[in-house]
Amino acid sequence: MTERDGADNHQRHRELEQVWGNLPGWGALAAVNHTSVGLRFVVTGLCFFLVGGVLAMLIRTQLALPEQDIVSAGLYSQLFTMHGTVMMFLFAIPVLEGVAMYLVPKMIGTRDLVFPRLSAFGYYCYLFGGLIVLSSLLLQIAPAAGWFMYTPLSNARFSPGPGADFWLLGITFVEISAIAAGVELVVSILLTRANGMSLNRMPIFCWYMLGTALMIIFGFPPLILGSILLELERAAGWVFFDVAGGGDPLLWQHLFWLFGHPEVYIIFLPAAGIVSTLIPVFANRPLVGYRWVVLAIITTGFISFGLWVHHMFTVGIPQLALAFFSVASMLVAIPTAIQLFAWLATLWTGRVRFQLPMLWVSGFLVVFVCGGLTGVMLALVPFNWQVHDTHFVVAHMHYVLVGGMLFPLVAGLYYWLPHVSGRLPSMILGRWGFWLFFGGFNLTFLLMHLTGLLGMSRRVYTYEAGLGWDWLNLLSSVGGFVMALGVAVVIVDFALHFRFGRRAQPNPWQADTLEWATPMPVSAYNFASLPDVGSRHPLWEDPALGERIAAGEYGLARIQHARRDIYGSAPVSGRVCSVIHLPSNSWLPLQLALSVAALCICLLLKVYTGALLAVAVVLFFALRWGWHNGAHPRASPVRVTDPVDPPLHSRTRSGPGLWGMVTSLMADGTLYVALLFGWFYLWTVAPRWQLPDAAPLELTPLLASGLLLSLAVLVYCRALTWLETGSDRKALSGFGASALLGLVHCLVLVWLLLSAPLRPAELAHDAVLTVMLYYQLLHSGLATVLTLLQLQRLRLGYVGKALPYEALVLQPLWLYSLTVFWLSFAAFILLPLAWTGTS
Amino acid sequence: MMSPYHPLQLVLGLMVWSVWFVFLYGGLSVACQFAAPDPVRGAFTWINVLGLGLALLVAAVLLVAAWRCGRASRAPEAGPAAGRFIASVAAAVYALAALATLGIALPALMLPPCL
Repeated sequence: MTERDGADNHQRHRELEQVWGNLPGWGALAAVNHTSVGLRFVVTGLCFFLVGGVLAMLIRTQLALPEQDIVSAGLYSQLFTMHGTVMMFLFAIPVLEGVAMYLVPKMIGTRDLVFPRLSAFGYYCYLFGGLIVLSSLLLQIAPAAGWFMYTPLSNARFSPGPGADFWLLGITFVEISAIAAGVELVVSILLTRANGMSLNRMPIFCWYMLGTALMIIFGFPPLILGSILLELERAAGWVFFDVAGGGDPLLWQHLFWLFGHPEVYIIFLPAAGIVSTLIPVFANRPLVGYRWVVLAIITTGFISFGLWVHHMFTVGIPQLALAFFSVASMLVAIPTAIQLFAWLATLWTGRVRFQLPMLWVSGFLVVFVCGGLTGVMLALVPFNWQVHDTHFVVAHMHYVLVGGMLFPLVAGLYYWLPHVSGRLPSMILGRWGFWLFFGGFNLTFLLMHLTGLLGMSRRVYTYEAGLGWDWLNLLSSVGGFVMALGVAVVIVDFALHFRFGRRAQPNPWQADTLEWATPMPVSAYNFASLPDVGSRHPLWEDPALGERIAAGEYGLARIQHARRDIYGSAPVSGRVCSVIHLPSNSWLPLQLALSVAALCICLLLKVYTGALLAVAVVLFFALRWGWHNGAHPRASPVRVTDPVDPPLHSRTRSGPGLWGMVTSLMADGTLYVALLFGWFYLWTVAPRWQLPDAAPLELTPLLASGLLLSLAVLVYCRALTWLETGSDRKALSGFGASALLGLVHCLVLVWLLLSAPLRPAELAHDAVLTVMLYYQLLHSGLATVLTLLQLQRLRLGYVGKALPYEALVLQPLWLYSLTVFWLSFAAFILLPLAWTGTS
Repeated sequence: MMSPYHPLQLVLGLMVWSVWFVFLYGGLSVACQFAAPDPVRGAFTWINVLGLGLALLVAAVLLVAAWRCGRASRAPEAGPAAGRFIASVAAAVYALAALATLGIALPALMLPPCL
């Protein structure tokens, strides 16, 4: 490279940094870059982990000796509830999402995730939701019904304070963040891989994250629905879980565990992805059985949903049904075993370097296998009955979750630390940290299996002396503090390494994946040019790839119009097919998240006029967000220099927006299916399910409303055809007519809601029906408003014959609303009518 | 019929399994609620027979799909490696889904349905 070339390259890097970098000072709050957002998730998650850890230490201090009264029974209940809640919802999932957000774009050879503002919004939802939940602890009104909030304990009668409301609203807020990350990761992995990175060349971590993200999309909505229903029952007195009004508390358990069991695997899979990434690197050979591991990921993703009832073996379900879930619980061991044998075979056939990350991976293998074995024991119904709600279950759960998540996470943090800081951690401190943690962990939880087998129930705040539990509890508590010391040493190591760690060479662990082809510490744009990939192990095939990328030898090396551009590629082959332009730094995610937080706080304080105002502000920011897209001057206005081969994604008929819409609707659809499940469950199982004397909804206006909606959708689809053939005037009137029809349909629904003699506070039947009507109204209303915006955008030239993309993105929402309407009509109106003559 | 190289083949087998599993559990609950057989009949009831029969049918369909994808993954016209990869993983997914279907239905041989 000549001196002139070098200066040119330097200038190019500066331009890239300018376009992709964050704003200075407070402007960093407007950052949307995946590296910044991912790191924020990880750091915040680790802070919540420390809070959860302190709560655990308080629990262990209380239980160290019999008959202690360091904390009261009430406070103890708050402590274990918050410990579980913080660790599961505020630490485990967000921190792994953060790791994925940081790594995935780098591993697939691109510069950012496809919806950067959504990432930032997700982070703020997580932060604010987490702070709201934690604030209840400081105010000494924390939830105390356990981290799974079983009804009736968590209802307004038995948990009268605002503690449970903090949980329900705060956690739902955090779950918005998880679903946002799920959508983001699915679309990014499928659509933005480096040129030539076909599915079979994808880094194994990305397969794990694809599986996890899809599981989040299908796993979280049942709990979101459950939380909404329980909050409606607590705040408005609507009946869903109260037997007297035709509800059933077991419905909560079903909804919770439909989420809760997959969640264990949502936590495990990314961690296993870290293990599958690290083991080949430290064994100096490719992963044995890549296809088998992909098979295991897919299988785990499905079968883990079929286990939820194994948390409910004692609630009185027929033996045959219990046996179905017992077998399913054992079946899930097959994909886990496939992965384990793949890891062992890789280690067996490789030349293993036992560096620090590998130490934590070894700890994972030992601890997780033990947790898996007790899991198989618990899958056996008679054994499960024996140890139900004892410390045995607590021990098993910690072996699975700490073994299956925390050990790989720390391994991963040590492994990728040089990527962030450019420095290596201390091997001495690192080893001390590991052995203290490993020893302390096993001392705490191995013995806890015995405590459980000797009959000690979980969640008792104290116990009598002489039951044989004294020495076990004391040693468990000592182990807990040793483990905490191990955590402290690891934190000190992390903190000191930023100042005193040795400078790391590029690709310090001789890894094979693309994230090590970026500069170290990493730049805001990851890659100065977007590489071509012809192998599953690009850096092993070509160790100099990073230098060539930096020299700008590959795609999108030059910045155009100060725009953040990445490649869009085909989902299977990974061939480049478009240039995706991404939004730059934006305050909208923070503004929107703050307004959602205000809504959440208003609901907590029961200031409902304030809540309505907050909804209006949320709507304003959300629509403003959607407005700054496509050909809008703040996004990517039409220019003569626009690339055509490949074209900008907003000038095509498909792209991340469309995929994001469909993926979001998959989550939305799961929530709706959970509502349908609730309806049929209560109908068939609730002991006092009652039908109202007369049908509360009139059939004719409901049918008319459905026909109006059908017409609105038909007209919208026709308007799309006109748009694509260049008949702008017809398209304009089409959008207008569609919005008008949608509006009238909504008005009929509102009239039905206001005039129908629905009694949601007395009958579960009416309560579910009312929720269904609001759900429909929300979707139809949203589609109508967004169509009005399309109309305006068509007038302004942001949408048109050459720019049909946005209107196409909206189409699935209309079709979804229509499908939901007629499904609801069949399930909620026609079926009861046919069954009993009353709806 | 969907090509064995289509990426949806990667999940189709387990989607069939999921639907079958929900149908099995939901169907059992509804059947026990509205037409529970006499417990003295043990496992030999219409519910068990129907469950097992359906399991055999679903497993057979899944095994045929596994065979089809397995054959396609080895075919000379399989095309790019990504297609062969999809077909071979899909074959294993179908086979595992068939195994899961049969495994879960197995207790119906021994246990009464509504006790």
